[in-house]
Parts: sequence; structure tokens; C-alpha cells
Amino acid sequence: MLSIKNLNVAINGQQILKDFNLEIKTGEVHAIMGPNGTGKSTLASTLAGKEAYEVLSGEVTFKGKDLLEMSPDERAREGVFLAFQYPVEIPGVSVTNFMKAAINAKRRHFGLDPMDAKDFLKLMRQKMELVEIKKEMMSRSLNEGFSGGEKKRNEIFQMAMLEPSLCILDETDSGLDIDALRIVANGINKLRTADRSFLVITHYQRLLNYIVPDVVHVMFGGKIVKSGGKELALELEEKGYDWIKDEVAAEA
Amino acid sequence: MSFADKINSEFELAEKNISSEHILAHIRKDAFTSFQKLGIPSNRHEEWRYTNIKTQLPESLSITGHTTWNLAKDGFNSFAGIKATKLVFLNGVLNTGLSTIIEETGVTVGSLKEHLSHNKGLTEKYFGKLVKKYEDHFSMLNTAFVNDGAFVHVKKGVTAKQPIFIINLYNSPENFTQSRNLIIVEDSSKLDVIVDFQNLGFSSYYNHVSECFVGNNADLNVTKLQTATQHTTAVHTLEAEVERDAKFTCTTISLEAKLIRNTTNVRLSGENSEARLNGLYYGTGTSLIDNHILVDHLVPNCQSNQLYKGILDEEATGVFNGKIFVKQDAQKTNAFQSSKAILLSDEASINSKPQLEIFADDVKCSHGAAIGQLSQDEVFYLRTRGIHEADAKSILTYAFASQIINTITIEALKVYLDNKLKERLHLDF
Ligand SMILES: Nc1ncnc2c1ncn2[C@@H]1O[C@H](COP(=O)(O)OP(=O)(O)OP(=O)(O)O)[C@@H](O)[C@H]1O
Ligand SMILES: [Mg+2]
Repeated sequence: MLSIKNLNVAINGQQILKDFNLEIKTGEVHAIMGPNGTGKSTLASTLAGKEAYEVLSGEVTFKGKDLLEMSPDERAREGVFLAFQYPVEIPGVSVTNFMKAAINAKRRHFGLDPMDAKDFLKLMRQKMELVEIKKEMMSRSLNEGFSGGEKKRNEIFQMAMLEPSLCILDETDSGLDIDALRIVANGINKLRTADRSFLVITHYQRLLNYIVPDVVHVMFGGKIVKSGGKELALELEEKGYDWIKDEVAAEA
Repeated sequence: MSFADKINSEFELAEKNISSEHILAHIRKDAFTSFQKLGIPSNRHEEWRYTNIKTQLPESLSITGHTTWNLAKDGFNSFAGIKATKLVFLNGVLNTGLSTIIEETGVTVGSLKEHLSHNKGLTEKYFGKLVKKYEDHFSMLNTAFVNDGAFVHVKKGVTAKQPIFIINLYNSPENFTQSRNLIIVEDSSKLDVIVDFQNLGFSSYYNHVSECFVGNNADLNVTKLQTATQHTTAVHTLEAEVERDAKFTCTTISLEAKLIRNTTNVRLSGENSEARLNGLYYGTGTSLIDNHILVDHLVPNCQSNQLYKGILDEEATGVFNGKIFVKQDAQKTNAFQSSKAILLSDEASINSKPQLEIFADDVKCSHGAAIGQLSQDEVFYLRTRGIHEADAKSILTYAFASQIINTITIEALKVYLDNKLKERLHLDF
């Protein structure tokens, strides 16, 4: 599904990702954990195609295609989805209109006609139920005045609508209360299928109790320094990052 | 013959056709004398600095020329979805066949030309009283040559149930059509007026003046539509006087133009009165859209609010000049102005100038002017959901403009404008 090889990325002339490597197979769930400022969101944004992130070298292939060659919108239509750590507020654009535009852009990309109004509303209703979003939300401006938790739910709702192949979740759990975390995690689990992969960025093991990962990676200093099974998350929760830092220092 | 000489001889000729007893005889002569001194302004004139109207009016234009026109009922946009009394003017002259009047007690509508002859009591009291006599070039020209336009009167204490729709249609590239509205809303009455302009010919030139009187405790809501005005060179002057406890709202929507100047002057002359002036303009190609606004606070305890938004694409130019005058007596004034414009191309430009002159000390006045581009972060967010860059920009432009459209209280009109905007932006949601 996704293959990242020796990726080096800089922002404002400062290199953040350093020889980053990652391989995610179809249907797998990978978690990335790591201290603040280590480059997790940088990785997510680079995969989504944010212009400010300058790819110095490296390769990213997504479903066999060169991802870095594609525009951000083309990546999305091809099936990459990023649930943002900090979703942008967009006054004046309703969630409904926004989703209509997004769905139809994808349909056109695959040579389909725009979805008819009835089917669209039905789909909306279905996906709203998945993450228990209230109907009123749909006519509100996108993310404007949404609480932190509402924004995150809305991201997962969009993900459910667009049915991507690769879901990148950047700290979707932060800002969610205990009940919301369960609801959102259940929603995400329902989207787990054999042909869909996940890259879950989180600081907390708790989310991974719900969304059980196949692989857990520890990111430090712009690269993955350790990978393991789901037990690695528990170990990190218990011991923090210092022992990893020590390991890295010892190797250097 | 120069344009000025041509206008002179047209005026002389017109004078011969009007009796010296006519209510207009003096007014017209005075106005023409004023106009002769003022002339058509060049861009050396401060108020016309960024809008060089003089070079945009061909010298061959005729002021009094009128092209007759056989227009079919379906030959123009009659806004079938909006229920209203509709007055249709062809090149400045009322066409009763195309108009539809819904009779309402206490509401009088019709041809200004007729009312100037038959309704002298009202027209003598109000006509020509608000236009700026010795300073406004185009109001003076308009007054000197006034022929027809809409006359609207609402009696004291009457709330008009239907809006009045004044549809002005143009098709003659040879004439500089002068047309005039007189709108009188007496004490404690309420009215919605929509003034629409459609250019159905190759190009058109007109000079349109509206005088609006809003009596004590009355409420007048005017919406001006310049949404089918491609290839149009026009000067619009709206003068309003707002009395005690009254409210005046004016929304100016300019979506198409070659060159359009909107001058909107409001005098808050009665205590506790309120003015809301909203505007949306969208220029593409090489069009120039100019909004000059003046809110004059003459007495205490009044409120005014100017909210203008502009979108300029390709090589379009915008001009915004928003004046707030607060006279010495006008304590406890609350005046607010906001002008925002987005430039969608490197060649588009805007000249924006707020102008506050405050002579009272206990007032709340604020203004904000912002000129910018669409937010990169917002564009990116939409693109990460698969929306093409051009569509993402259209969606955000639509969102920016919607704020003004959403202030419109006539639901059917709001829907019309919303669709018009989407059409312009090639949006299909
Ligand atoms: N626009 C920018 N200019 C300069 N430095 C930046 C910019 N954006 C991010 N950075 C830096 O890049 C580094 C990596 O940031 P990133 O957001 O990827 O971290 P993160 O691992 O997601 O952290 P967190 O866990 O706090 O979300 C940080 O040191 C940050 O300050
Ligand atoms: Mg982050």
C-alpha cells in the first residue's frame, strides 16, 4: 500500500525527516508514537502534499504510484486521507456542501456521474451515525466554533464518507473525552477492512487498546528508531521515552 | 462638437419642450447651471481619482436620445420566482405592458414623469431635495435632464406586503440614459425595494439617481442588483435621509460591470436612526467597480454599519471609499465600517480608503480594511479531501461572498443571488 524510502524533508530550511523509512502493507494498522516535535505531523503533512514541506530526497510509492508526483487533491482522490491534528476552520462553507464537492470530485475522477441528492443524504446519515454526529452539525460552517472533540469526530466522519485506502490519523484521540474516544475508535474499527491501511499517530496507549495495531513504531529525531508489536506501546506508556533515547545514543 | 457643447445644445432643445410653470422648470435650470460649472469629472477630481469616467463616456453619446424598443415579455429576466410589484423601464422609460402592479392600500407606485405632473404636493416637497446641489456632477446632470423613473410612496403607518421591484433594462449604445427614482416612506411605514439593472444590448451607458426619504420610525430596505450588467458603464447615486427612530438598509450587489460607480450617501438626520450599508462586488476581466459611501451622522444616538466585500480576479479593479462623518452634535454615535477584498490574481487591484471625520467627542467609531488572498491553509484543507485547486478556491470565494448574500431578508432574492454566485464560480453544490 505505502512504501517510504529514505525520505528527507525540510521546512523553512530546517530538516525534520531524516532518512525516514516505512512500509505499510494493505490491510495493516501501524501506529507511530514519539516525543513532541519529532516530526510525526511533518510526515503526515508530507504524505498529504503540503507545499511548505520540501522533499529533499527519497521516494514514496502509494499503490504502486509515485505519490510525490501527485498534487494534494489527486492524492486524496486516489485514496490518501489525513485526519488532521488541528483541522482548519472554514467559515461560510457548510459541512454538507463541502462533502458534496469532495465526493463528486472523487466520483468524477473515476468517471462516475455526481451522486444524486437522495443517495448523498442517505450516505451522510449513515456515516453520521457511525461517529454519532448530530444532524445540526451538517449545516454549520466547517469546523467553525466546533469544540476540539467535535473537530476530531468530523475528521473521522469525512474519512468514512470518502472511503480512502490509506487513513492517516494524526492524534485523533487528543481532545476527545472518554466516551467520545470510544465512539470514534469504534467508528474507525468499523472502517477497518482487508483493503484499507491505517497509520495512527498517537501519544497514548489507550487509543491502541481500541484500535489494535499490527506494528508500533517509535519515532525520534525525524526517523523510526524502534518497531515492535502492540506490547511496545504498553512499554512506552510505562517507561517513557528516555530508555529509547539512551538506546539511540548508545548506537551512535 | 465637444461633449460639453453637445450637452448644452441638447439642454436648450429640451428646455423648449417644457413649460415654465412646470415644477421642474427651475430645478432643471439650476441643476444645469451647476452641471455646467462642474462638467464631467476627470481623474484629477479627488472623488474620481481611481475611476476615470471621463475617458469611458464616448463623446458621441446623446443625453436625451431615446431608443424605442419592442421587447417581449420573456425577453428579459422578470424574476418570476419573486412575488412583487414590478415596474419595468426600457431605456429609462416606464413600460406599463411589461410591468405588473399588485395593488396595496397606502402604497403608490408609478412613473415619476406622471407623478411630477399630477402629484405635485409630494413631488414638490421631495424631488431634488437630497442631491448634492453644487458638488455632484452626475446628480446635477441627471436633475437637469430628468425624464422618467420610478415613483414610490408609502403612506404613514403602512407596512407594504409586497416588495417593489424596479427593473431597468437597457439596449442602446448611443445614449447616456438619465433615470431617476423617488422613494418616499412616510412615518412608521415599512417597505422593501429591489432595483435591478440589466443590459440587454451590446453596451450601455446610464446615470441613475435615487432619492430615498425614510420618515420617523419607518423602515426602508433597498437592494440594488447589478448582476446582468456586462459591458455597462454606469453611475449610480443613491441619496437617503433617515429620520428619528427610522432604519435604512441598502445592499448593493455588483457582479458584472465594465465600469460601475455606486455612490451611496446617507444622512442620519433624526435621533436614534440607523443605517446598514452592505455591499458585494465581484470584478473579472478588466471591469472596474467603485463604491463610494458616505454616512453623515448629524444628530445624537444614531448607528451606522458599513460592510463591504470585494472579489477581484483577472485584471479587475475595485475602488472603495467609505466615509463616516460625525458632526459636533452627534454624540453617542455608533459607527462601524468594514471593507474586505480578496485579490484572486496578480493583475487585480483595489484602492481602498476609509475616511473618518469625527467632530463629536463621545462616540464609538471603528473601521477595518483588509486586502488579501485566500488562505493557503484553507485551500490545502479542501484539497486534501480531493477537491481540485480551482474548485477549492471557488468554494472559499463563495464562502467569503455569502456573508453579504446572507444578510438579504427577502428569501427568494437570497436564493436567486446565491445561485447566481454559484453559477459565476462554476460551483454545482
Ligand atoms: N513552519 C515551520 N517552520 C519551522 N519549523 C517548523 C515548522 N513547522 C514545524 N516545524 C518544526 O518541525 C518539528 C517537527 O514538528 P511536527 O509538528 O512534525 O512534530 P510532531 O512530532 O507532530 O509533534 P507533536 O507530538 O507535538 O504533535 C518541530 O520542531 C517544529 O517546531
Ligand atoms: Mg503533531
